Amino acid sequence: MRKLVTSVAVITVLASGVAVFQLKRAVQEKEDAVRAIAQQIHADREALRILEAEWAYLSSPRLLQDRSVQFLALMPPRAKQVLRDPVVVPFRPRGLDVDEAEANSVILPVSEKKTIQKTKKMKGSSL
Amino acid sequence: MSALSASAGMSSVPGSVAYGGGNRTGIELARNRLIVAVLLFCLAFLVMAVRTVELGLSAEAPKRVAHTQIAIPPVKFARADIVDRNGEILATSLETASLYADPSKIKNPAEAARKLVAVLPELSFAEVEAKLSSGKRFVWLKRKLSPRQKWDVNALGVPAFEFRREEERLYPHGRLAAHVLGYVDTDNKGLGGIEHFFEDRLSDSEAVGSALNLSLDIRVQYALADELEAAKRAYQAKGAAGLVMDVNTGGILGMVSLPDYDPNSVRGVGDDERFNRVTKGVYELGSTFKTFTFAAALDDGLVGFEDGYDATKPLKISRFLIRDDHPKKRYLSVPEIFTYSSNIGTAQMALDLGAERQQEFLSDIGLLQPANIELTEVGAPLYPSTWRKVSTMTISYGHGIAVSPLQLASGIASMVNGGRLLPATLVHNPEGWREGKQVISPATSRQVRQLLRMAVSKGTGGRADAIGYRVGGKTGTAEKPKAGGYDRKALISSFVGVYPMDDPQYVVFALLDEPKGTKETFGYAAGGWVAAPVVRNVILRTAPLLGVAPKKEDEGLYKNVALMIEE
Repeated sequence: MRKLVTSVAVITVLASGVAVFQLKRAVQEKEDAVRAIAQQIHADREALRILEAEWAYLSSPRLLQDRSVQFLALMPPRAKQVLRDPVVVPFRPRGLDVDEAEANSVILPVSEKKTIQKTKKMKGSSL
Repeated sequence: MSALSASAGMSSVPGSVAYGGGNRTGIELARNRLIVAVLLFCLAFLVMAVRTVELGLSAEAPKRVAHTQIAIPPVKFARADIVDRNGEILATSLETASLYADPSKIKNPAEAARKLVAVLPELSFAEVEAKLSSGKRFVWLKRKLSPRQKWDVNALGVPAFEFRREEERLYPHGRLAAHVLGYVDTDNKGLGGIEHFFEDRLSDSEAVGSALNLSLDIRVQYALADELEAAKRAYQAKGAAGLVMDVNTGGILGMVSLPDYDPNSVRGVGDDERFNRVTKGVYELGSTFKTFTFAAALDDGLVGFEDGYDATKPLKISRFLIRDDHPKKRYLSVPEIFTYSSNIGTAQMALDLGAERQQEFLSDIGLLQPANIELTEVGAPLYPSTWRKVSTMTISYGHGIAVSPLQLASGIASMVNGGRLLPATLVHNPEGWREGKQVISPATSRQVRQLLRMAVSKGTGGRADAIGYRVGGKTGTAEKPKAGGYDRKALISSFVGVYPMDDPQYVVFALLDEPKGTKETFGYAAGGWVAAPVVRNVILRTAPLLGVAPKKEDEGLYKNVALMIEE
């Protein structure tokens, strides 16, 4: 009986010793990881500064205009082309799904073309 | 448990202790004492068990995190960034490496110098060799290397070459806004513009993490610079200046002075390029000044829109002859004098106003004191020390007084925004509503707005009319002074525009220094021909960015003025 108690106690002591050691090791590992992450954040922030400066340079209006002239046929908008309220656009499709889609994304010319084709087809089928 | 009950049974029989042998009694005693200790331990464990169960069952306690904070090493730099009103970076500090050497460690200076010059060809071999064979402990070889150059030098494998971490001030937008930002020297001390004015704020180690927020809008700045450059080239002007200002806050959205320079490399840049024509340059700005004469006369109730002056003949005053550039040779009403920019009419109005009142009014709107702005390059206005009758007359239409474009724009802003004079500012302060000194009454301000709009829709400023944006403004053309008089060939042509006129938001000013007329302008180089289109284009480009929507004009606003103007 007493032997049992003693052996249980010894096993418990050993087990708890191992557990504490494991815990300590795990904590140390986590601490190392945290330190590494902090270092990484620091490095990232420094890189971010450089990237931000580069982005400011690459998105400088002069460069953008050069690119625009090179690749796009865009001109400054005339007063006629600027609208206060999109509702006044003639033949603009209305309804829930259109407005919803617009809330998240801008309709690009490509997708606009598609919708035109679709409406044409639908007209044909109904006739 | 069995041991426990056994000992309890024994202790309940005291007689057995008395009758037992001495040896046995000792063991019994020891055991009994042990039992007490065991009981105490059991009790303690029981308490712990109960407490554990209680903690497990009770409501979750607020989570407490171990107090060890994760310390992220801060990104250290010595000079704060400068950003525009939208947070776009205008000036930033980046880490670079500077190359130095310890010549005492070098055995073969010629060999080391040859290797170094091979990767950094901009260094001279003789100079490097002399430095390396000097036997000192420290010599700078090259400051601020690019990462690529640093890599190359490291690849040489010369142990005596070492790097020191340094900071480099970088202006990503190059020459755009150069005169506003200024520049720094090799040791990152601000030497011009905002960099100089806010030297303490920018290099303050406490505030280095927060960027300095300017009122500039880099998109507006670019539109202004682009249009001015195009006009300067087209009319072969010596220089140009431009300004976009918010009339309700005094915030400056764009400030351009041409020729300009690249603040990233200021070595070899001349004084002409560094000269800020908007704040430091003072010019006789010509007819744009009529706005102030009219505002003063209208505010005093001296004249109304129904009054007028005779402008049949040029005025002769002492040795001067006051002529009109666009002579109508008839009696002109007050709105006509403004619209057709009649010097004769304005000069007579100024005589009625009186020299003292004129001086007081100009002083009130800050045209006789240096402008108050966050730059050190500020020019003091020039005006006659003794204000004679002829000065009163010429100053009424902007001759004989030289002010900076910045002062003029601030003055015009106060004329149209309801009469509040707000000092111009380069620092963005979105919440700060500034009261401003009331210089003219809101009613007069309304009249000045009507006059300015008429000058564009019917008068000399027609080429500034950006359709849809209700532009108002005034042309200004002045001859440059030369020894003993004026040079009829050398002009300062300017235009100051305000839009939208029914609710003024922005002042746009453009000035060209000695423009030459071209075939397109029929040889004219006056403000209405060369500067007004710049203002129109700037308005067309920036209004959509600034959220000013085009709309059809309300003709009723200008009915009473328009009636007074005959073609």
